[in-house]
Amino acid sequence: MDNPQDRFELDSQLTELSRVQPWIEALADRYGFSEDARFAMQLCVEEALANVVLHGYRSEAGHPIVMRASLSEGTLVFAIDDKAPPFAPTEPAPPNGATKPASLESIEPGGNGIRLLHRFAGSLRYERLPDGNRLTIGFPVP
Amino acid sequence: MTISTESMDGGITRVLLDGRLDIQGAAAVDLRMNVLAGSSKFLLIDLSKVSFLGSMGLRSIIIPAQAVSRRGGKVALFSPVPMVEEVLKASRVDEIIPIFHDLDAAVAALC
Repeated sequence: MDNPQDRFELDSQLTELSRVQPWIEALADRYGFSEDARFAMQLCVEEALANVVLHGYRSEAGHPIVMRASLSEGTLVFAIDDKAPPFAPTEPAPPNGATKPASLESIEPGGNGIRLLHRFAGSLRYERLPDGNRLTIGFPVP
Repeated sequence: MTISTESMDGGITRVLLDGRLDIQGAAAVDLRMNVLAGSSKFLLIDLSKVSFLGSMGLRSIIIPAQAVSRRGGKVALFSPVPMVEEVLKASRVDEIIPIFHDLDAAVAALC
């Protein structure tokens, strides 16, 4: 298939996220992604969806999240649409080079999701939609 | 996701995690991890059977490690697979909780 259109809809709760895993695996099978690329895809989608649920919808269930997968110029692209208030996870991640975290106590247990998204996604794009947000995450097809 | 423990010489508790440390996996081990953090002085978290690690899974490691450290104990991570190690490095956890691939070195660092 040159231009598949796949759609997956879930509700805004963390317990829904595990349903996405087999869907991503099936897409990865279709395009022959490596184990490491599958790891990156699962990681980025989980972090992006968790952001929508926890920050976009503030952990309130009952809101839709729609994912679409498509192939564009040799890249498998996931578009994640929600109807939450504006929330752009593509804001620059906290500086990650200069200073070493001082101690175990100074490490923030949360807040790694966006950093991981930036590190493991092939490409990342945020759009504000008229009634929500769209995050597009791309992975080059091998 | 399963979690089991093993007592080692030197008062070290080795925690063996097995499975995907994603949101679901993290929820499955959090309570047990926190109990272990409350009762162990030296914690060796064995990640060799962990096939996936996300930010929620990182929390399941960092929060217990902070609790152990607060009580004057030490925590080390053992033998993560390469992609799991990448996640630990991308989030800079490796700079605070040491990662070992050699068991003797991990034990020496804890005691």
